Amino acid sequence: MNPPAIAQSARELEHFVSEAPFDATSATRLTPQQERFYLASQWMLMWWKFKRHRLAVVSAIVLLLMYGSALMTEILVPYNLHTRHADFIYASPQSVHLIHEGRLVAPFVYELKKTLNMETLRREYWEDTSRRYPLRYFCSGDPYRFWGLVDMSFHLTCPAEGATLFLLGTDRLGRDVLSRIFYGARISLTIGLIGIALSFVLGIVFGGIAGYFGGLPDLIIQRVIEVIRSFPELPLWMALSAVLPVTWGPLLVYFGITGILALLDWTSLARSVRSKLLALREEDYCTAARLMGARPRRIIARHLLPGFMSHLIASATLSIPGMILGETALSFLGIGLRPPITSWGVLLNEAQNINVVALYPWLMLPVVPVIIVILAFNFFGDGLRDAADPYR
Amino acid sequence: MLRYVINRVLLMIPTLIAISIIVFLIIQLPPGNYLESYIAELQAQGESVDPQKIAFLRKEYGLDKPMVEQYLYWAWGMLHGDFGYSFEFNLPVSKVIGDRMLLTIIVSGITIVFTWAVAFPIAIYSATHQYSWGDYGLSLLGFLGIAIPNFMLALVMMYLANVWFETSIGGLMDPEFVGKPWTWPKARSVLEHSWIPVIIISAHSTAGMIRRLRANLLDELQKQYVVTARAKGLPPRKVLYKYPLRMALNFFVSDIGSILPHIISGTEITAVVLSLPTAGPMLLNALKSQDMYLAGSFLMFLALMIVVGVLVSDLALMALDPRIRLQGGVTR
Amino acid sequence: MIARTARFACSLFVALMLACPAGAEEPPMLQPDVAAGKLPPLAGRLPNPPLVVDLKRPNWTQGAYGGEMRMLMAKDRDIRMMVVYGYSRLAGYDEQLRIVPDILEKIVNEGSRVFTLHLRRGHKWSDGQPFTAADFRYYWEDVVNNKELSPFGLPQALMVRNRGPRFEVLNDTTMRYSWDEPNPQFLAALAGPSPLYIYRPAHYMRSFHAKYIGLAKANAQAIVAGSRSWAGLHQKKDEQYRFDNPDLPTLEPWMNTTPLPSTRFVLVRNPYFHRVDASGRQLPYIDRVTVAISEEKLIPAKAGAGDIDLQARYLRFDNYTFLKQNEKRNKYRVQLWEKALGSQIALYPNLNVDDPHWRRLMRDVRFRRSLSLAINRHEINEVVYFGLGKESSNTVLQRSPLYRPEFREAWIGFNLKAANALLDELGLAKRDANGLRLLPDGRPMEVVVDTSGESTEETDVLELVRDSWRKIGIALFSRPSQREVFRKRVYSGKSMMSVWTGLDNGIPTPEMSPRELSPTAQEQLQWPMWGQYYENNRKGGQAPDMAEAIELVELYDAWRVSASDAEREKIWLRMLDIHAQQVFTIGVVTRALQPVVVSNALRNVPTEGIYSWDPGAYFGLYHPDTFWFDPKGRR
Repeated sequence: MNPPAIAQSARELEHFVSEAPFDATSATRLTPQQERFYLASQWMLMWWKFKRHRLAVVSAIVLLLMYGSALMTEILVPYNLHTRHADFIYASPQSVHLIHEGRLVAPFVYELKKTLNMETLRREYWEDTSRRYPLRYFCSGDPYRFWGLVDMSFHLTCPAEGATLFLLGTDRLGRDVLSRIFYGARISLTIGLIGIALSFVLGIVFGGIAGYFGGLPDLIIQRVIEVIRSFPELPLWMALSAVLPVTWGPLLVYFGITGILALLDWTSLARSVRSKLLALREEDYCTAARLMGARPRRIIARHLLPGFMSHLIASATLSIPGMILGETALSFLGIGLRPPITSWGVLLNEAQNINVVALYPWLMLPVVPVIIVILAFNFFGDGLRDAADPYR
Repeated sequence: MLRYVINRVLLMIPTLIAISIIVFLIIQLPPGNYLESYIAELQAQGESVDPQKIAFLRKEYGLDKPMVEQYLYWAWGMLHGDFGYSFEFNLPVSKVIGDRMLLTIIVSGITIVFTWAVAFPIAIYSATHQYSWGDYGLSLLGFLGIAIPNFMLALVMMYLANVWFETSIGGLMDPEFVGKPWTWPKARSVLEHSWIPVIIISAHSTAGMIRRLRANLLDELQKQYVVTARAKGLPPRKVLYKYPLRMALNFFVSDIGSILPHIISGTEITAVVLSLPTAGPMLLNALKSQDMYLAGSFLMFLALMIVVGVLVSDLALMALDPRIRLQGGVTR
Repeated sequence: MIARTARFACSLFVALMLACPAGAEEPPMLQPDVAAGKLPPLAGRLPNPPLVVDLKRPNWTQGAYGGEMRMLMAKDRDIRMMVVYGYSRLAGYDEQLRIVPDILEKIVNEGSRVFTLHLRRGHKWSDGQPFTAADFRYYWEDVVNNKELSPFGLPQALMVRNRGPRFEVLNDTTMRYSWDEPNPQFLAALAGPSPLYIYRPAHYMRSFHAKYIGLAKANAQAIVAGSRSWAGLHQKKDEQYRFDNPDLPTLEPWMNTTPLPSTRFVLVRNPYFHRVDASGRQLPYIDRVTVAISEEKLIPAKAGAGDIDLQARYLRFDNYTFLKQNEKRNKYRVQLWEKALGSQIALYPNLNVDDPHWRRLMRDVRFRRSLSLAINRHEINEVVYFGLGKESSNTVLQRSPLYRPEFREAWIGFNLKAANALLDELGLAKRDANGLRLLPDGRPMEVVVDTSGESTEETDVLELVRDSWRKIGIALFSRPSQREVFRKRVYSGKSMMSVWTGLDNGIPTPEMSPRELSPTAQEQLQWPMWGQYYENNRKGGQAPDMAEAIELVELYDAWRVSASDAEREKIWLRMLDIHAQQVFTIGVVTRALQPVVVSNALRNVPTEGIYSWDPGAYFGLYHPDTFWFDPKGRR
């Protein structure tokens, strides 16, 4: 170009020339935020995206609290699982009061008094407002063996001496409903986790084989999946749980039921693994690995799977509610867990009759934690799924 | 394309055979047989049973034959339209299940239509007004539908309906209309009774469908062609209906395949609690009393419904989605 | 059912009535058919003499015709309950629990060896065909002695020392059954809720019998209908008790007109029913009974909603409060009848259990007594039965003439000290770290009680028992399983203890069979193998090797050939005494109550009664054919 022409156009245009020394990387330098963003690992990115979904974060906290409480149930609740009060059968929920004669005092309850109505054969309860029974905290209540190791009797809150604390009422043997709901959480929550772990493994193995190898294995596995999915769930559960040997103790039955639920649940996971693998196995890095002599197992596990592990986790999380509902439904119908094991499903089974609906509705309260847990897992899973592909 | 269709139909056959074997095995697995549970039940009520009659019946029902022979007898019969014999009712199975299957199909059909009718508009609204109050509210409602165990609802709703609306408890119609020809009062009674089962059964699948549809729609709405269309000045509604919705429709149709088993199974649990005259309660009883041909035939019918339903949805998807047609059948 | 002289007077009265053409009133439901000539008039439909039913119960009156009684059942199979409730038998129990003729006009009983049965002249089946000795002959020659229809021979109740009776037909309406030795169970079998049918509607059944229509035709007919052979089809059509064949003629007050399967069965009056009231009007009063099939758990809800007129089955004691609450709104009353079980819930230690240590303990009476002493029956009564039951061992009820207070009170006091002492005496004094006693081989004493897992009542009682047994160092675990599996475990000796209802018949009279008290059947949970030994004629099972059990078998055999009531009473008392001392089964609480829902418009249903299967046939004892609807009531 002609230097005089450039100089002329430079004079005509309004421009600004920086006095700062020349820096070769100025166009490509990143701001601190951008740097953090681009240098962050995949998991960091996922975490940030997850945090943006506020509902998912709240759900995660709720779930953490629930599982945490399952570890410390004995301490948190006022009564043991099997503690019963023959004098307080079908007691209605007691309220905790804070105001006495217009003044704010420590939380207390009134005494629960009972009359037997021989006409209707009903136990009628009323609160005797003459005496107050303040709650005790960090106190000594029903003895228990913490985690099967240590004999303790420490409770977060107990009723006052000689009084009762039935925040959610009692059932037909006089057992505190609130305590039983907390104890039931242990079984219901962990069935979901164990079941999902099993079904995760099954799904990856079968989906991996089908997706990677294609051809005959794919055909067979697809048919198997189709057969399983074509079964109406309920009769299959019923029939399978009728097969569980009677000689098994309650714990084995519990694992048996978990296994059954898992056996029927892995299909959706397997299908998504399969479809992803079908797409991904044509990728160059996979071909490269194959040419370098890697065995299929290594290729799947080391190269292909991590690519969509986050999706899998999200799907798995979303299947947990199904498991929890499945166990609840089975126990509700009387073919899953049975007393003396206590899960939410078992509690709901005991509440499924007209007496409860009409006369003792507080026995239906175990449905609330079921709803909360399922909602929480759904939102949590949603958040995970949104976060699973942070590059979008 | 024709090859794909024929392929799929032919593939149904080994699937059905496998299902029949598994069904039979599962029914036979619990120890004992029909006669033993019959005896046990009578004894439970204090009645005693003439052992001679039992021995006679055992021979008559062929319960003393090996399992393989019983299965072949049943499977062969099924191909001829003879579904075996129900010990409980002392009748051929075909006479027993006819009515029930019809009602199951009807109730499932209504539920699917209800699910569609409700899920579709809600999903569209949610997707287009993302993060608005309406979206959150409807999502919450949808989630509640998934979270609440529906059988729990059933009993409570029935009781409340009886107390508030004087609807009789259980069944699909008032007792005096059972077995009578169809009249206007009877139809009204059926409608009065069916809103509870339909809501309960469809709650689960509606919520699920709303969420999946919404997610899919959101995916589509972020694609390049939508942005381009908007940039080029198409009114938003036209953009919505002409392109992404068609894509979402594909998904809609194919989703039938995944919700059908849930609907049929959910129908059963609810039918048991609500005492509806559909397949569910009878199937459960047959399973409990090991009335094996009846239970087996029921399960086969239900499985058949599902397999056919999935096939239909896959074929419909193929008709709607040229990608699948041209790629020769790689499904979702 | 009334005394002989009164009956004679009434027969005379009825004969006079029959002489007048415009005598007693026809049931309005049948009047059109009679007028059109499709049905013969009343005189032509009743037998001569009919049975006159005139009950001396308080609040019992003659009733008006009409109405439809609604009931609920849980399964199609339950339609057989209408045969139980109808309770039309050759001979039946009256409210004093004596067996009196019903369908039969007269029974001549010679020392319980020879029974001459007299039918009523002109008695007809529900389709109008005559009911005569030919129907009994058909049963004897063509059913029970036919190798294909009865390959396994005669029913138990017709056999004495493995020999059947001699059957003779004396004339059109008289038959005789004779044995060489007394057969006291014969009449009780005829009077049972699920009776021994020694007759068939021959005119109907012949069309399925190879002897009468030829083998080829019978077999062809069977194959078309889906049975394997003519015997199968005959058997299928022949179910008088199952009540599932609407074409089968019957003698019950209502006949089933709905084939299976159905969600609603309609039963209509039997125009040829043999009973009348004191005014000569043919029973039943109620025209129609509808039985609706509903899910079991919904039945209390539906009863509370007023959907039924009479219901007891599937209602439990804990439904009482709910039912009582809705009484006024839905216009019914709920009554409490007394259940006639020896004990509402009883524990059955399995004396034939496999495990040698436990077997030794179960057989030791001191062990059983200590377990019984360690149960706090008062608490169980308060918690589960609202204090309305009566603490008791598993024995007969106060109503029974065989009751003695010492039977009920044997070993039922709550005495932990004595229980502990007995266990120490047995050499079980060693305990482990948790306070549980140890067996001689070092295992902690953990009793596993098998249950069929069906009632929360059982679970609750076991829970309470568990707490009190812990105090004597014994742990209790309950294991629920499906009914058949539960029974199998007991039969095979794998189960060490089970829980069930107590004595089925808690109100026996000396005439009734004491077979429950003796090892006679495999289904008895406390000694299944000894029972099997007896049931299968000393093949299979194990012979009893305990002195008291052997004595019980001998006593039962003695009863089976006993000739007088005095002799039978002695046998019964001795058997009950053995049970009270030996505590073969551990009873808890008796006099449990059964709610019965009765519509306000339904009359002649007793306010108090016993609810018992045998004897009693649940409602059968109280004559449902005399229940009637008062138009001034609800409807």
